[in-house]
Amino acid sequence: MLKATLIRRDERPMAVANSEALTAGRTLCVAHGLAAPGLRSALALQAARAVLRLAMIGLAAIFVGEMISGRANWPMLGAALASVILGSLIGLVADRAIANTELKVANGLLEAVRGALAAASPGDIQAMPPGTLIAGLQRYPQAVAGLAVGHRLASIMLGLGPLLAAAAIMAISWEAALALILLTPVMIVFFVLIGGAIRSGAEAQEKAFGRLAAQFADRIRTLPTILGNHALMRERRKLAARLDTYASGTMSVLRIAFLNTGIIDFFSSLSIAILAVFLGLGHLKLTSVPGFAGLELWQSLFILMIAPEYFVPFRRYAEQYHAKAEGIAAATALDTLVLARRQQSPAFEAAKAARDLADATSPLPRTGLVAITGPSGSGKSTLLRHLAGIGPAPSIDPEVDAPPDVAWCSTDIYVPEGTLDAAIAWQNGPCCRTRLLLAAGNVGLLDDMLLPGGLDASIKAGGENLSGGQRLRIGLARALISGRAIFADEPTAKLDPANAAMVRQALVEAARTRLVLVATHDRSLALLAGRTIDLEMGNRQTRERAG
Amino acid sequence: MNDSTSPIVPETKTGPLEEASRHRVPWRLALVLAFASLAGGILLTGVSVWFLGAVALAGLTPAALTFNFHVPAAFIRLFALTRTAAKYGERVVGHRAALTDQVLRRSTLFAAMAAAPSVRKAGWQLGNQDRLADYLDDVEDVDYARLRVSLPVATLGMAILLLIAATLWVAPLAMAPILLLIAVNMFGVRVLASRTDADLAAMRQSRQQASRLLGSAIQAVVPLQGERRWGPLLDEPFGGYANAQTRALVLRHRQALLDTLANCLAPCAMLSILVSAWLSGLRGEALLPPALLAFAWLAVAESVLGASKIVVAFVREKTARSALAKWNTLDSVTRQHVAERISSLTLDRLPRRAPDGRLIGRPISATLKAGRPTVLHGASGCGKTSLLKQVAGWLDGGDDFVLGDGIELNVDVRRSMSCFCAHDATVLADTVRENLFAPHAGDAELWRALDAVELQGRIRAAGGLDGWITQDVLSLGEAQRLNLARAWLSDRPVMLLDEPTEHLAAEQGQRILDALLLRLRQRIVILSSHDELAPSGATAVRLQ
Repeated sequence: MLKATLIRRDERPMAVANSEALTAGRTLCVAHGLAAPGLRSALALQAARAVLRLAMIGLAAIFVGEMISGRANWPMLGAALASVILGSLIGLVADRAIANTELKVANGLLEAVRGALAAASPGDIQAMPPGTLIAGLQRYPQAVAGLAVGHRLASIMLGLGPLLAAAAIMAISWEAALALILLTPVMIVFFVLIGGAIRSGAEAQEKAFGRLAAQFADRIRTLPTILGNHALMRERRKLAARLDTYASGTMSVLRIAFLNTGIIDFFSSLSIAILAVFLGLGHLKLTSVPGFAGLELWQSLFILMIAPEYFVPFRRYAEQYHAKAEGIAAATALDTLVLARRQQSPAFEAAKAARDLADATSPLPRTGLVAITGPSGSGKSTLLRHLAGIGPAPSIDPEVDAPPDVAWCSTDIYVPEGTLDAAIAWQNGPCCRTRLLLAAGNVGLLDDMLLPGGLDASIKAGGENLSGGQRLRIGLARALISGRAIFADEPTAKLDPANAAMVRQALVEAARTRLVLVATHDRSLALLAGRTIDLEMGNRQTRERAG
Repeated sequence: MNDSTSPIVPETKTGPLEEASRHRVPWRLALVLAFASLAGGILLTGVSVWFLGAVALAGLTPAALTFNFHVPAAFIRLFALTRTAAKYGERVVGHRAALTDQVLRRSTLFAAMAAAPSVRKAGWQLGNQDRLADYLDDVEDVDYARLRVSLPVATLGMAILLLIAATLWVAPLAMAPILLLIAVNMFGVRVLASRTDADLAAMRQSRQQASRLLGSAIQAVVPLQGERRWGPLLDEPFGGYANAQTRALVLRHRQALLDTLANCLAPCAMLSILVSAWLSGLRGEALLPPALLAFAWLAVAESVLGASKIVVAFVREKTARSALAKWNTLDSVTRQHVAERISSLTLDRLPRRAPDGRLIGRPISATLKAGRPTVLHGASGCGKTSLLKQVAGWLDGGDDFVLGDGIELNVDVRRSMSCFCAHDATVLADTVRENLFAPHAGDAELWRALDAVELQGRIRAAGGLDGWITQDVLSLGEAQRLNLARAWLSDRPVMLLDEPTEHLAAEQGQRILDALLLRLRQRIVILSSHDELAPSGATAVRLQ
């Protein structure tokens, strides 16, 4: 409960949760579907465990009652011991079944997210906030699984558990069982009242201090900026004050929220106290309330010990409160992040225009350098992507116009962690060191002062020690080895003149044996092209030129 | 009594002690309440059973008429109320104490982290959402350790010790099975604790590995889709996530095993006490105390069931503490008196270093004059940002090589003299006013700054100076302009602007930069640019 109320580190999903809770729900549907098969057996096991626990307590109470009355009923004791052991074992199996089912749900959700990501267009993926997506993938599936399995079981047991306890008591005294059942609506009224108070308290807290929820995380994130602007002392004081304010606000919500379990504790304690006195008076023959008088000791002990069990499922359910809040927030976040259907992005229109153009340009030659030129924003990259078969535009009939097998070359290529030779050889199959050396040398990677070590130069995770130009040249070296058609997006933009010349030379060489398609605003590169597709506004046409 | 000295002594001597004890008081109260609640629960069950047994036995005899049931009944009601009220009190007081500690710990931690050298080096790792989330998990594990571990362990331990003592007194024969069970449980706790460490570490490692892979795959989504490798490349990171979840499952299975052992403890203790009492020949009335004790054991069953959670929380706290310990650097910031303005800054054969300490290119020598901005040119990756950070005192090296008006400037002086305006500066979740970092500037001046960076309209729309902004609200270009407004308002003598026109349209960037340089005409200004930005009157330096 604490966690959900205090640490709203995902401010955005929470905020979104309020506005879109009704429209979303795809994640939850998937989760419930995945949980269904495992849930039934887990429920049966949980019910068996509850029955055995009642049996253990009841049998022990009967044994004690009879023992005090002077008769040791050993089979009864044996049965109690057996139900302890059996109950614990079934509990073990049940816990494992729940854990397994939750894992199945979490993995299924991951699989669904993977499917959605694999099918999404680059525009959609770039529109997702990557940090939130990654942090979410680490946590959301488990949270949703907890909601779909653990919380669901607790809520089913909330209906079943009290009935089992009442049935057990009814076997001894139906009046006592009835008293317990009649107590429940009173408790529920309290629950509703407190639930309303919690909600309004939480809303007031959200309204007053919602902004302060993730201040600590925010200040840690922005620490370098704070230092650069010499604001450390001020921010530190402010942070302390704000954390304090937020903590006070949170406490006032928690004070009400704890009443929830307090009520259950109260009723469960009260039931013992009242029953003990009533049953005691019956034994002393001071009252003659039917169902409470004229009982044997073992009978009244049985009622006394089983009665608190009536309230246990309520407590278990209340304890799941934070699992519920977290699960719902996580499901909504996953919905909005990945699984929801996206609106077609504005890029879609551009892509459609590009498609018309693509029709005009096709078929592309099998060899030669083709340049797409035009001012920035005219759709060079979009056309390049479209010709490679990526993007949201309805694809041209794939059978007729299968996108060529391409090697991509741009500043945002994928570079695996490790060494330079591995980065160049990535996905190129086995290739000898001489070829790697040759390719790396062709694009000036071997004598790059800023990437010392030749082919053994180390590359950090995500290639974060590489500049854009270095990345691009790694991509080009890889493309040269691959033998595929090369699609290059602004291959010379981030390079100094010497390296740019080297790259142009390498592209021209490669164009002798295969198609090299470049989107560029580099005039010298465009001049080398055998064919130019000019996207300049008002001049949307292709020009053939003698190579 | 010496009145004249007494007010001074406690103040000077017990200052920090008093502070520490002030934080311990709520915890003590929480512990007392927790114990009162557990004791209330134990006695409620035990005394009720005893009472029923006693009246049942009395009911068979004429003693029934004289039996005083008012006292035990009153006690039973008292225990019921104590159990409920103390439980509520424990929760409230415990959480209050945890939150108070949290506030204190987090603001201390914030200051400690600000002093860590890695904040100023390249690429702030906690700027990444997923790293930040892991870090917050650690902080939270430590924050609530007392509430999740110390408090329940202390309460439960005390209750079990008392019950053992009572058992020794009432039914010593029962101690053999009880001790055996406790030993088995302790063994289970040890095994779980030792394995949990490895499980948690493996879980985190495979999650981080997967996240790194997925992060670089997302960055490269266009090329990967172009090459038809996007789908297959997702296999590895998602395999990593699934792996982490499997590890979590293994941990849960172990927890379930300990839960099974713990589940047996209390009921078995109860049954063994009953058996041993009967076997030692107790009958009738004499069986009532053992019955009371037996059901008292049953009443702690609920608390014993939390054992596996406590163990995991304990291990998490230990891991988190060691992860956070690396941020505990001593705050070495010394307040320096620095000149308000300097007229020249000299770099005297300054060896250029990358963030990892590697030397880049040749040492640089230059004399920078106030009023004549210097532009650093060069291909990306040639160390422009690193040079700015060296001048700012953010990277090591350069103590003997940077002179201000002919005097050597050490790291601390350079840090307090310079305003380092990073190209990836962030937006704080705060008001616009606070985001401008100029607490002494008036509204008019703030608006002038926003006007100079062409943000006036945008900020008015967002609610003025006191409107709340976050990173997501502003576009990259707007965030960059806000960053330039901070530079506009800065009063430091050395201004270091890293890629000031990044994310801005060329003409707008030029306009804003001209206005900014006009404002900073009295200062030493160094800016870096990867495109050939050439403000009028600037000296260009090309880095190789």
